[in-house]
Amino acid sequence: MNRRTLLLAATSLTALPHLEALAQAGQGDPVRPLVLLTRPQAGAPAAYQAAELIAQEWRKLGLQVELRPMPNQAHSQVVWNERQRWDATMWQMVGRPERGDPDELVFNLFHSANIATGFNFVGYNNPEYDVLAQAQRVEMDQPRRQQIVRQVQELVNRDQPYAFLVHPVNLQAFNKQVFAEASAVNQAGLGIRNFWNWIGLTPTGRQRDIIVNSTEPVKATNPFYISGAPDSWVTDLVWDRMMRVGPDGLPRPWAAETVTQVDATTIDCVLRAGMTFHDGAPVTVDDVVFSFEAPGMGNESPMYRPFVQNIESVSATDARTVRFKLKNPDAAFRISVLAKLNIVSKATWAPVLADYQNRPQNLESYVEERPIGSGPYRFVRSRVNEEVVLEANPNHWAKPKADRWIMRIITNIEATLGAFRRGEINVIADYTGDPDLLKGMAQSQATMIAIREGVDIGFQFVGMNNRRPPFSDPAFRRAMSAAVNREMMAGAAWNGQAVPSNSLVSPALSAWHLPGIEGRVPGANLEGARRLLQEAGYRIVNGRLHYPPGVRETTPAFQ
Amino acid sequence: MKRVLGRLGHALFVLWAIASLTFLLFRLMPGDPTLNFLSESFSDEMRLALLNAFGLDKPLHEQYLLYMWSLLQGDFGVSFLQKRPVLDILLEALPNTAALTVSALVVAYAFGIIAGAYLAFARGTVVEGIAIPAALITRAAPEFWLGMILLAWLSFGLGIFPASGANVAGSEFTSEWARLTSADFLWHLVLPALTLALYLQGLPLLLMRATMLEVLNDEFIVMARMKGLSRWAIVMRHAARNALLPVATAFALGLGQSFGGNVVIETVFSWPGLGRVLVSAVQGADYPLAQGAFIMIAGVLVLMNMVADLLYAWLDPRVSVGAKR
Amino acid sequence: MQSASAVSGHPAKPGAVRRAWGFLRSQPFAFVGIAIYLLFALVAIFADQVATHDPRQILFSGTFRVARYLPPSMTHFLGTTAGGRDVFSQLVYGTRSALTVGVTAAFCVVVLGTLFGLLSGYLGGWVDRLVMRIADVVIGLPFLPFVLVISALTRPSTTTLVASVALLLWPNTARVIRSQVLSLRERGWVEAARVTGCSPTRIIFVHIAPQVAPLAALYGSIAVGWAILTEASASFLGFGDPSAISWGLMLQDAFNNQALSRGVWAWFIPPGLCIVLLVLAGFLISRGSEKLLFPKLGD
Repeated sequence: MNRRTLLLAATSLTALPHLEALAQAGQGDPVRPLVLLTRPQAGAPAAYQAAELIAQEWRKLGLQVELRPMPNQAHSQVVWNERQRWDATMWQMVGRPERGDPDELVFNLFHSANIATGFNFVGYNNPEYDVLAQAQRVEMDQPRRQQIVRQVQELVNRDQPYAFLVHPVNLQAFNKQVFAEASAVNQAGLGIRNFWNWIGLTPTGRQRDIIVNSTEPVKATNPFYISGAPDSWVTDLVWDRMMRVGPDGLPRPWAAETVTQVDATTIDCVLRAGMTFHDGAPVTVDDVVFSFEAPGMGNESPMYRPFVQNIESVSATDARTVRFKLKNPDAAFRISVLAKLNIVSKATWAPVLADYQNRPQNLESYVEERPIGSGPYRFVRSRVNEEVVLEANPNHWAKPKADRWIMRIITNIEATLGAFRRGEINVIADYTGDPDLLKGMAQSQATMIAIREGVDIGFQFVGMNNRRPPFSDPAFRRAMSAAVNREMMAGAAWNGQAVPSNSLVSPALSAWHLPGIEGRVPGANLEGARRLLQEAGYRIVNGRLHYPPGVRETTPAFQ
Repeated sequence: MKRVLGRLGHALFVLWAIASLTFLLFRLMPGDPTLNFLSESFSDEMRLALLNAFGLDKPLHEQYLLYMWSLLQGDFGVSFLQKRPVLDILLEALPNTAALTVSALVVAYAFGIIAGAYLAFARGTVVEGIAIPAALITRAAPEFWLGMILLAWLSFGLGIFPASGANVAGSEFTSEWARLTSADFLWHLVLPALTLALYLQGLPLLLMRATMLEVLNDEFIVMARMKGLSRWAIVMRHAARNALLPVATAFALGLGQSFGGNVVIETVFSWPGLGRVLVSAVQGADYPLAQGAFIMIAGVLVLMNMVADLLYAWLDPRVSVGAKR
Repeated sequence: MQSASAVSGHPAKPGAVRRAWGFLRSQPFAFVGIAIYLLFALVAIFADQVATHDPRQILFSGTFRVARYLPPSMTHFLGTTAGGRDVFSQLVYGTRSALTVGVTAAFCVVVLGTLFGLLSGYLGGWVDRLVMRIADVVIGLPFLPFVLVISALTRPSTTTLVASVALLLWPNTARVIRSQVLSLRERGWVEAARVTGCSPTRIIFVHIAPQVAPLAALYGSIAVGWAILTEASASFLGFGDPSAISWGLMLQDAFNNQALSRGVWAWFIPPGLCIVLLVLAGFLISRGSEKLLFPKLGD
């Protein structure tokens, strides 16, 4: 026994106050300077501001924290491909319709199968979690599954692999002089930027087009490939799916009239009668079967292939019925597969697919002169960095109320407001600017502008590298998370346009969210964080935080 | 003719050097182009497949030869993100940029020439005392700053001009030419072109003024004046013709330079031109597209540099082609 | 773009300083330009004393309430930004980065341009051909796009920005210097130096270089403006050095936060004006010195 362990034994046994100073002499190494990665202010102003605030708070715990703004590309490169290297990073998960089911995030973000190359880039590894993540996936009983998803959230709250910050609140607006206000449809977690609104929004006057803004350009319009959020808004309208995620966030039959669960791994879909593609050809069960088979043939559609991996077989059992046999039960199959894959025309795509199987490129690089789907809108044209024009499909059984749907690409957020005020656009669906301005505008022009707000499915967080000390210590992570005041994040970084978060399941998904979890961060605040560190054996010596006794700092600092 | 050919060969050499430089720049870029495909569905195997599809797994010299060979055939490759031929994307944006640049230059030079000539006569007056610093100030102001102020004032504030884009949403035209000559397009063009012209007018103005002053003091003008010719006649016959040389050269050079310099104006006015293609491609690490846009912009610049040289030689017989400016 | 054929051919005399001073007094343009430079230089040197706050610090106006958009006052001369930082202090520290960018870029342009111009003009032959070929290629590179691509390829930083500006601007200077050297080398005193056995290095750097220095300085003062404008444009497009405090980033921040719509003039007018002033100063000085160098133009 050396002297230090003797001393330690003495303090723990006697806990004499005057020995505390001696115990500190046996404290571990000082924690190395930590680097918090973030995107630059220009690219992500709110996250950058949040990072500065977080660094300020962490420094109060005796840590040396450096903020490192990195361009998007370099940032992704480090976080994604050099997983051993970084300490902590600002990151986000964005809301998408298929994330209306918690399965995708629950499984991908924290299951240990995804540590090496998948989405679990923070390297959270907990067998207990893996069991729960798998269990919710195969549980077909809704109440029981809800119960498991809540357990998942409790576990995440305990271990704090991320420090969740906020769920953004979407702020959107439309011109109610152009559209009947009551016809706007809100979808949980997405706001008015959703399929139901685009087919439901009803013009009242001479302007019969929906003209909506996008801050990002549309890159591709292809049923087997999307390259960004705006792409998916377009494909959503041009191609139909068997089911669609409804305004309530739950899947509902769409091109399928009925969807029947025959047994745990068998699903029957009855195709709606009389559907046609935009070129007039009827939509048949063969088209449907092909649509679900094509992504799995070779590696022609890397983006969609994973979604058909669980399909054992898909076949037409009669002229209107398609039967899916799954390899394993999948509770999220409807939302993540049936409501996600596009129904394409076999006549168009089968020859193309055959051709591309002999080429180095895959199906993604096939550009249709004029994309053909069966959706409620028909594709007219797309001009780079300018606009995408769709027109209503008069033959669709859910014919849109508007004549055309036009997406204008406006990167300048100031110009977006100007264009909206001047009527150049009549829906703001993608607003990243100052909420006060849009709200103020709505107040001063109350007869023209209607505002919609709703909590997003996505969230913003600090990813802590669970592989690297001190973040490998759950107690340390809990303290880091507790030190962040989420109210301040929402107010000071996200301009009040966000709500506090402490879960991977947004409150927008009321069926799955664990109520009140955002108020139960272990430690709760900066004081609590200090207490947690103290309890775990960390000490501040000469203004710097030191590891618990006996712990050496062996991890190299970032760069 | 031989001169023209010589100059053409020279331009081709420069283009080849720039294309090679571009190739090296983009290949030596750190970071991985496939990172754009960050998604739960993207595996390592798909990553390699993508690199393979774009020929990025071949040795560098092979890639280079392939690249040069494709360029010679006018093939700029396929965009990583849009999966379309780069050339198609560039040609879609080119007319918008060309319209913006040419109209802004014409306005700037028309104004600059007249104002410059006038200022040469108004030497020593109050007008000159104000106009010269004003011309310098507009040239010193950041274009985007000027553009945003104009946009806020004339579009958001007074509502005179459209706030973004090159056409009203969803407008239909029979042809690209019909679109570019439509009143709608021209109306959208006013504000961006005006901003650019404000920035550009300083050079022709000062150039015109300086040349005019120089010419006006030349002996033959003094002689002409003594012969009793009117001031106006002198200006038209001698001074303006002499001043044409540097101004025309500057115009050609300016055309080449503005083509790439428009990036900022296009961003402010959401103008769907080449500059924005370049910026978004660079930001999204869409290398083939960024590379193509860069080469196209450089190509125009080299071409206009050549035109400027030829113009110079053509307008001023004293200079032989190849002599440096 | 000015013709460089007119060249003052005699070596500098001691009276030059006094003459320059007298000239400055007779040239209000150049005088104003130099005064602006001096003013900004003073602000940059004494930034720590002039600034009222730490330009990066997020200020609070209560527990967890960031002091956003405070109007101009005695504590915040130009108010605060959307992120709760003091605008005036950012402006003051921005002077530092503007001058650093401008002066280093100009210095590099002058050094590179003069060096290549001297070598090319004096040595002639293959050196001349090589340098001029490289210059032709560089002149064919579009300016801003090149800077953007370089920033995107490397980590965006002030260093890469300055380097790419210098890399692109030296050929103009080199060409002009070269043509001047071509005429200088035929002069009698150069010939005399050669005959007396001076090495080419000595002739280039001791005899010829001082003669072309004023001309190089003229191009340098224009490069100052170019570099500052380029930094601003690159920052506006999101390619600026994210950890710097510069006028370009201030403007970008202001536009991103829609300071225009909010009418927060005190945030986005001053940085723009500062850029205008500093760039203008470069133009004014170059106009003034042009007259010093080419008296014929000044008539």
